[in-house]
Amino acid sequence: MRDLFQYVPGTSLLHRLNPVTKLLLTVVICVAAFITDRLIFLLGLLALDLLIGFIAGVPKKTVNILKGLLRIALFLFILQALLTRKGTPVFWIVTDTGLLTAGKVVLRLMVVCMPLALVLAVTKINDLANALVQVLHVPYPYAFTITTAIRFIPQFLSEMDDIMEAQTARGVEFDAAKGFRKLGMILPLCAPLLISSVRRSEQTAVAAEVRGFHLRTAVSGYKQYPFQWIDLGAVLFCCALIAAAILL
Amino acid sequence: MIRLDHVSFNYPAQGATVRDLSFHIEKGEFVAVLGANGAGKTTTMKLIDGLIKPTEGKVVIGGKDTAAARVSERARQVGFLFQNPDRQICKNTVRDEILFGLCSVRKEDGEDTLRKRADEVLSDFGFSGDEEPFSLSRGQRQRVALASILAVEPDVLLLDEPTTGLDYRECCHIMDRVARMNREKGVTVVMVCHDMEVVLDYARRALVMANGQLLADGPVRTVFRDAELAEKASILPPQMIGLSLRLGAGFEAADTAEALTEIIVSKGGIPV
Repeated sequence: MRDLFQYVPGTSLLHRLNPVTKLLLTVVICVAAFITDRLIFLLGLLALDLLIGFIAGVPKKTVNILKGLLRIALFLFILQALLTRKGTPVFWIVTDTGLLTAGKVVLRLMVVCMPLALVLAVTKINDLANALVQVLHVPYPYAFTITTAIRFIPQFLSEMDDIMEAQTARGVEFDAAKGFRKLGMILPLCAPLLISSVRRSEQTAVAAEVRGFHLRTAVSGYKQYPFQWIDLGAVLFCCALIAAAILL
Repeated sequence: MIRLDHVSFNYPAQGATVRDLSFHIEKGEFVAVLGANGAGKTTTMKLIDGLIKPTEGKVVIGGKDTAAARVSERARQVGFLFQNPDRQICKNTVRDEILFGLCSVRKEDGEDTLRKRADEVLSDFGFSGDEEPFSLSRGQRQRVALASILAVEPDVLLLDEPTTGLDYRECCHIMDRVARMNREKGVTVVMVCHDMEVVLDYARRALVMANGQLLADGPVRTVFRDAELAEKASILPPQMIGLSLRLGAGFEAADTAEALTEIIVSKGGIPV
């Protein structure tokens, strides 16, 4: 989880794509997942996500993301299967429609989440912010906010670990508790986490301001993000994917 | 009291952070762990507290292996004051904060006893109990953190850079209280500190670390007078000791301004 949003250096096809093209690819996979209603197509999209991870040279990370998502997916699957009443009962109150709907829901969840994490693994966060400003003309403060929020996630996780460690040193037995009891132990720790997060955000804001943050415009970056032939290929692939999602 | 036998530890995806560390600390000692950043000092403290388990070797406190002890059992025996008090404070009032630690490890004492103990600690540290911890100053928050640890009455106190970021007055508040606990109640203190003046004033023994290994173990004054060791471990001895070393023969015993003045007067001046 800690390195989920961390950039992995490389020279793969995915690394060389324009950051905006990578975002487009991500959006298109998400849109395709919501357009289609076929289980097999969703499975295909999941396979595509895995393929992207392997092409990007981050197979271990891809598998870790999938493992993490599977835990949430299992919970959602059970919930969805139990709450859907339509269809023929297969087992206890679980119906065939419930199982199918649950399968689609969890597959959509995985298909949508994986490319978002993979884009961050193959794109430097600064490149993403600069490309958003230069190519898509997103105002710099918004691009900065998005990228800073992403950058802070591992830091907050590390902060939470430190807070839990400090509480463990005081005798709080997180390991011995499970489920709601553990949740009850962790919830009070949100206060120090929140306070440290606000302090850190304020410090970052002041640090950015004193370095002329308000003077920055779309032309402030020296690095250019031109589109190349591989980007055109990726765009064509995106069009084909959307068409397939509609037609199949 | 504390024994480390050939302890090694490495974080995943990193090399060995601590390598083959062995030392023994007696009850009632006041020990400083010195060394540059990344020397393995904090890791050693966490190993002593059992927050992390050694990959090799054994850490024993009070005759019991920390790897086998329960968290609450260990917390009753060992108090850990972190550099950043904000990681520890999680309650809305100072009284609740002190009670939180007490309830975690001394629940069997009963609510009345714990409340009484919290009141004792509050009055000892000069808090009313109704203050909001996060609205206090950094030094005061550090005192709240120390108060909640000392409330439990641990046998061992681990301090990880307890005075970093504090002004002189707050530093004295914290360290004087720790020294009193060490002197009067025989609490064993192990402290990581980068302020060598504080080390000289309070600690009696120093463990010097570099690259995860123990370079030296001895009385603080002896360690500070070893120039080669100081360079190896990237530590700067306190000014008075540095000055007495520069003045040369006859001045080595001076480690305070008063002692140095006395020697200078007795020698009729500084040698040219």
